[in-house]
Amino acid sequence: MLNIALPKGRLGDKVYELFASIGYDCSEIYSDNRKLVFENKENGVRYLLVKPSDVAIYIAHGAADIGVVGKDILEEGNFDIYELLDLNLGKCNMCVAAPNDYIEDFDRPLRVATKFVNIAKNYYISLNREIEIIKLNGSIEIAPILGLSDVIVDIVESGKTLEENNLRVYEKIMPISARLIANKSSYKFKSDDIDTLMEKLKKELAK
Amino acid sequence: MNEFLSTMAKEDRLTYELSMLYKQWGYKEYRMAKFEEYSFYSDNRDFLSSNNILAFNNSDGRLMALKPDITLSIVKNAKLTDALTKLYYNESVFRMTESSNDFKEIKQTGVEVLGKIDSYLITEVLSLAAKSLKTIDSNFILSVSHMAFIPSLLAEMKISENAKKELITCIKGKNLHDLNNICKRCGVDDSKTELLSKLANINGKLLQTLPELISLASNDEMKKACDELEYIATALSSSDIADKLYIDLSVLSNIEYYNGIIFQGYVEKAPKAVLSGGRYDKLAAKLRENTQAIGFAVYLDNLNLYYRQEKEFDSDILILFNSDGGGVSLHSLVESFIEKGFSVRVEHNIPEGYKAKNIYSFDNGVLREVTSC
Repeated sequence: MLNIALPKGRLGDKVYELFASIGYDCSEIYSDNRKLVFENKENGVRYLLVKPSDVAIYIAHGAADIGVVGKDILEEGNFDIYELLDLNLGKCNMCVAAPNDYIEDFDRPLRVATKFVNIAKNYYISLNREIEIIKLNGSIEIAPILGLSDVIVDIVESGKTLEENNLRVYEKIMPISARLIANKSSYKFKSDDIDTLMEKLKKELAK
Repeated sequence: MNEFLSTMAKEDRLTYELSMLYKQWGYKEYRMAKFEEYSFYSDNRDFLSSNNILAFNNSDGRLMALKPDITLSIVKNAKLTDALTKLYYNESVFRMTESSNDFKEIKQTGVEVLGKIDSYLITEVLSLAAKSLKTIDSNFILSVSHMAFIPSLLAEMKISENAKKELITCIKGKNLHDLNNICKRCGVDDSKTELLSKLANINGKLLQTLPELISLASNDEMKKACDELEYIATALSSSDIADKLYIDLSVLSNIEYYNGIIFQGYVEKAPKAVLSGGRYDKLAAKLRENTQAIGFAVYLDNLNLYYRQEKEFDSDILILFNSDGGGVSLHSLVESFIEKGFSVRVEHNIPEGYKAKNIYSFDNGVLREVTSC
């Protein structure tokens, strides 16, 4: 039995469709209920629907064998797991965004508002730029408008939210997409099952 | 004795069984103090898995550390002679845990061999590592790697140290998509990128995978490592552990300290490696002259969690007795049960959730079976 952790929400739905298309379906998942665990004994899969930011935690602790998670979450945390495949789904960018008229002032530390504290820290360490981090949990775009920060570090998908808040992409940090991850121990003991799934995924993605 | 062992918690039972295993192979127990001078660990901080060391001042003002690592201490302090030094230990280390961000005492047992290390000794230590895993769970895998492969290939690449670090992170995570992107960004030859990907991805039983690895060996260092692996594979081919040894070159250790064979052990129910070790001549050379070394540690903490012992009964007999009803002969009665090999608990009331095979009441010198509780 392969335990698969999927992120609840749009990305999770897309990933389930992908998995179902290569023979790992579990029709129960469509039933309208509040269940979080769905099993199909015939094709040997059990899906767990968890908060996107928790997928890697479930995998690292062995509560699920494999899972799908955004690269942003992997970069932000430090998980001892295998990152087996780039699914090229949920593509977006981790960016530094700033007000349209922003001009960087290099004679003082940069104030950065973000949910992704480690990504922001590591990025500015690589630029040797002194920063002050303001950790926010949502509505990051509001921070520079209110003068709480100079810039924000956040995920940018279409850029529409930025545009509506008079912000623009100032620098791109890294591209983000969904990744297939596996628990290291599970991968050792279930390598045949996981490799088979990976091969099928690769074929499907190449279509 | 075996019945007694089966009732022990997994960690305690393993400590005993592993000690027996190492003794059978002629290893001597090595005991050490719980702390050592702080400066020794801070000088060798890179070798430690975490940067945090639990320190305190002793009575004469010297800064001491609760041991964060056993290997360092053994290599520095063990008495060396012309013969090999073959040791095993059962000790605690004090390390910062990721989950609680606080220090924790972690039980560790392990084996170290110091002296002139040859292929036979490498095979012996590897086989002991596999047998240690088998003691924990018959369903185990020992992933074997060699520092001659990926580190030597990375050394041939003319890329920045930072890029190498990024590549090592990718390799440890079997992340070939980002590995390819980094190589492309740094202008690494396609042939080298392909070889690096192949080496990072190699994963299979030692005996069956070795020919593929031999065909990939592109420099003298790698070829020498293949000879070493071939010796091990041949020596262990008829052993019952041969099937549990896998080649996995994504297992990498600190290049400043390790050389040669390195390995990590997994058991089915634990989500992380429970054993890790390898050859660390570079560390040995830093601390002792003309000394080579190989060893491994088994992490016993958390095994109780993954291997929960479902006990049918807490004791064979539970005797309920009321102090008012007199208990002069109770002690000798309990002793007689224990002498017959039963486990007995005496109580006034049944403890919550307690399970006993037989429950008796003892009142005025009379023992009666209690049928319902």
